[in-house]
Amino acid sequence: MPVLEGKELRIVGFLCNWCSYGGADTAGVGRFAQPTDLRIIKLPCTGRVNPLFVVRAFLNGADGVLVSGCHPGDCHYTAGNFYARRRLEVLRELLDVMGIQPERFHYTWVSASEGQKWKQVVSDFTARIHELGPAASFSNCPAVTVETGMKAAI
Amino acid sequence: MVQHTQELRKLIAQALPELDVVLAWTSGSNQLASAPLFITAEDDLDKLDFGPMHVQNLAAYLPSLKGRKVGIVTRGCDSRTIIELLQEKLINRDEITIFGIPCTGAVNIRKVREAADGQRLRSVEAGKDIVSVTTDEGVRTIPMQDVLMEKCYNCPSQTPLIHDHMVTERNGCHMTGEAPESTLDKLDAMEPDARFAFWEESMDRCIRCYACRNACPLCVCKDSCVAQSRDPHWVDLSDNPREKLMFQAIHALHTAGRCTECGECERACPMGIPILAMKQALNRRIKHLFDYEAGMDMENTPPLFMFRQQEEHIKERDAR
Amino acid sequence: MNIGVFVCHCGSNIAGTVDTEKVAEAARSFPDVAFSTDTMYACSEPGQAGIIDAIKEYGLDGIVVASCTPRMHEATFRKTLERAGLNKYLFEMANIREHVSWIGKDKEANTNKATELVKMAVAKLRNNTELHAGEFEINKRVMVIGGGVAGIQAALDCADGGLEVILVERESSIGGKMAKLDKTFPTVDCSSCILGPRMVDVAQHPNITLYAMSEVESVNGFVGNFDVSIRKKATYVDWEACTGCGQCMEKCPSKKAEDHFNEGVGTTTAINIPFPQAIPKKAVINANACIMLSKGKCGACAKLCPTQAIRFEQQDEVVQEQVGAIIAATGYDLFDHTLYGEYGGGRYPDVITSIQYERLLSASGPTGGHIKRPSDGKEPRNVVFIQCVGSRDPSVNRPYCSGFCCMYTAKQAILTKDHIPDSQSHVFYMDIRSPGKLYDEFTRRAMEEYGARYIRGRVSTIQPRNGHYVVKGADTIMGTQVEVEADLVVLAVGAEASKGAGELAEKLRISYDGYGFFMEGHPKLKPVETNTAGVYLAGSCQGPKDIPSSVAQGSAAASKVQSLFSKDKLASDPQVSSVAMQRCVGCAKCESTCPFGAIEMTEFRGMPKASVVETVCQGCGVCAVTCPQGAIQLQHFTDNQILAEVNALCPY
Repeated sequence: MPVLEGKELRIVGFLCNWCSYGGADTAGVGRFAQPTDLRIIKLPCTGRVNPLFVVRAFLNGADGVLVSGCHPGDCHYTAGNFYARRRLEVLRELLDVMGIQPERFHYTWVSASEGQKWKQVVSDFTARIHELGPAASFSNCPAVTVETGMKAAI
Repeated sequence: MVQHTQELRKLIAQALPELDVVLAWTSGSNQLASAPLFITAEDDLDKLDFGPMHVQNLAAYLPSLKGRKVGIVTRGCDSRTIIELLQEKLINRDEITIFGIPCTGAVNIRKVREAADGQRLRSVEAGKDIVSVTTDEGVRTIPMQDVLMEKCYNCPSQTPLIHDHMVTERNGCHMTGEAPESTLDKLDAMEPDARFAFWEESMDRCIRCYACRNACPLCVCKDSCVAQSRDPHWVDLSDNPREKLMFQAIHALHTAGRCTECGECERACPMGIPILAMKQALNRRIKHLFDYEAGMDMENTPPLFMFRQQEEHIKERDAR
Repeated sequence: MNIGVFVCHCGSNIAGTVDTEKVAEAARSFPDVAFSTDTMYACSEPGQAGIIDAIKEYGLDGIVVASCTPRMHEATFRKTLERAGLNKYLFEMANIREHVSWIGKDKEANTNKATELVKMAVAKLRNNTELHAGEFEINKRVMVIGGGVAGIQAALDCADGGLEVILVERESSIGGKMAKLDKTFPTVDCSSCILGPRMVDVAQHPNITLYAMSEVESVNGFVGNFDVSIRKKATYVDWEACTGCGQCMEKCPSKKAEDHFNEGVGTTTAINIPFPQAIPKKAVINANACIMLSKGKCGACAKLCPTQAIRFEQQDEVVQEQVGAIIAATGYDLFDHTLYGEYGGGRYPDVITSIQYERLLSASGPTGGHIKRPSDGKEPRNVVFIQCVGSRDPSVNRPYCSGFCCMYTAKQAILTKDHIPDSQSHVFYMDIRSPGKLYDEFTRRAMEEYGARYIRGRVSTIQPRNGHYVVKGADTIMGTQVEVEADLVVLAVGAEASKGAGELAEKLRISYDGYGFFMEGHPKLKPVETNTAGVYLAGSCQGPKDIPSSVAQGSAAASKVQSLFSKDKLASDPQVSSVAMQRCVGCAKCESTCPFGAIEMTEFRGMPKASVVETVCQGCGVCAVTCPQGAIQLQHFTDNQILAEVNALCPY
């Protein structure tokens, strides 16, 4: 089920449960209209965001990836986003050297109360990805067909 | 060189009774092939050799020998690997004895082949500043400067940063002139799409032998590498550049802030894929962000295993 | 897996902009989906009954509900699964309301997006496993850190409820800031008269162990089982023997020691009992001021002490305590007014802080309750009060309102008139904040009955002139410049985080804000909890508070502890990390990065292996990213579960 042909690009979000996922909920409760491209994956903390999830998403054809968590100092787990910040800064360079424009990746901090800010983040980032257009893709690469996970091992 | 080799043999011979094994180099079947030498008895010392043709980073064997008394012949760059392994407690300082040697640079055999215009090499002899190559066409000399390993051009320390014994330091240095253009330089000059295409083309050649990983002294997952596990299942086995590039990204991120750029991954690659560039890019960024270089100080913590509440070089992105 | 998918209309909340029927139909083609339907209100009683019926009828063993945010109803549906006999972790939710139907009106795009979110939830669910909560014993003792009024209240409530309480106080006596006050607003009760009996109750309560002159050195463990080290600082007096008679103070030759309790108004002796109602009422030697301890000769107190209680050789002592819960009630400190150069920066003797003024007003204070200027001991006629010194001022990094200064200033203006009937008080203020019961009436009385002159405006400078001070400021209501000649200036200093609050927060592993105040679990709904299980807050350590709020929080924190301890065992959340032993190479990277110290290195057949203390692990997943071989995985958020979601969204 691809994104809407011609209308949407593929944008994946990794959000922490405590702040940004709540912020996205707050934006919903406030009926703050947003573009429809983004698909959100909920994690407990940005400290759980392995930069390789982001690489995997890009290599699988994502056009943009957004990571959002608690503001520095507000982490529910005290330090998760401090680790995340370092990892994601380093990731930016990896994407760059791999030929994935770093502008396609963004990380930010949005608290559970910042619904209006979340709308802004999503709108700005989606607009930026549309400006960049579809990401570079492999010229001769089949789709992922293998089932992920333990199922495959059986 | 001969005199130094004698000296090194003497040092090792003195220490050998206290050690289970000493890691060193020997010349292989021909001069083009250097091989690791595992010294357990005095007789083995005759085979010991070192010099510009012996490139391998022997420190890669250390984690698997943890718990034994190991001696290791070490150059400046190798010592950074040892420090990094010590930092991460993958080896114990009191179990290793470091025999420091002065280094005048290591020869990149791929570059020698290129310099010989791809002709079959019969023998290679490394001199002080030149490498003489015998091919079917005859003998030619190449300036050492043109065929060094990439890491040698801006080598910060030709003698080990830590050692227990030291072969007399030699004065002088192998560095003169400019380093040739690196893969990273080439990549920097490209547009992103060209970079992506570069990796696609490079990875297309990858045969998934994992020599890069097996040669890397900091790939310590041994049989638990995620490249081949199903739980977690990060990469699949379909033969395409996407999955192979994914593995390179995994390797780069797993060694980010730990990699000392010893170049073993690239050297070991039978397809000559310039995979070191990815790690160099990350290190460059890490140096800028955290003012950190791997393998310089045993007391340091690799930068991705720590944080500061206020990161000096990270814009507090969208702080409230 | 046999997966059932339920797509909720939520009335028209979702169905208005998402074709739920189409989403349910599309879901039937997803792998392992055995049943899929749309439903009017999934969370309603009939909605839940429909899910239970379908589980039984179709033999479903995993459920996806596409409806509102999991933050709303995940717990609801997990209970539904349990009622149907399924493990509650075999459940996933697709948020198609807050994240889809409520943020756009494009039905085609919304339907497509909702379908993808369901696909993602199904992909994740296929990798879910049953998880089971463990149980562990709890130690029903509580430690209260800080013996101010909030800590006293918390300790007494816990102790009255039958709990053993360890009360740790940094100073030599409990009582905190309230013990230094003369009277309290708005009733003008004598502060020590109402607090004193409570302090005595603490001393006499059989369930309370009081450690005064002590600080928490380290905290290890987790809810129900904390191991605490407490450093008892050397007092150089054997408190077992000391009777608090005070004879030593009369004879101590070193009389220039800093008088900490009296906020530096005057000086005191090197051996000291801070105030008459001190609990415990024991002498302490200030080592810096003691001639014996600094020069090695004197010992006047030792010769005189009727019980031979002096111990010049005494050292700090560290004691261990085990508790199941901790209440932090470490209070606040006051802003350093010397940062305001325009108010003299601490150089003018008669520009004092509000708490120093409180000590001048107090009958047990250094002046016996007579208001005497520090410079010449004269009674002031004109007293100027300046509010918001270190509050609501971003230029000194104190943008917040300290909350209680308006009220204590009004009280001090009233008391000034009581003490010196022919005096005149002037109050420079920004706004009056008096939202408590009888508070506003009280400030009105200060103006109307006691004649305090309130001037709305900031003071720009204070200049000494002929033994007085010229206070220059603006009257923003009149739009004029104001000059007042003052004999005494009282600065209403704001509250700031207690010294060392950050270090304590690190020990307790609780968050603290940029000003050092401890973070509550939720600003509205969890005001006395923290995000660390078993650690609670009371009083001003969480943010500036007046006495009634602090007392209320003390009781609230105590009630939280009581309800925690009402069970004999606690259930541990199974969404924690666990180590696949055969994959772990023992590199300890996870151990070094865990924010909670929840990972221990153990040995297994001579090889080092990481092991998770499930009760300490909070489930953040930092370790899972640190581990290069993926040996440590966060249950319910494993690499495979997240990768399944990524691959469902980006199949290439």
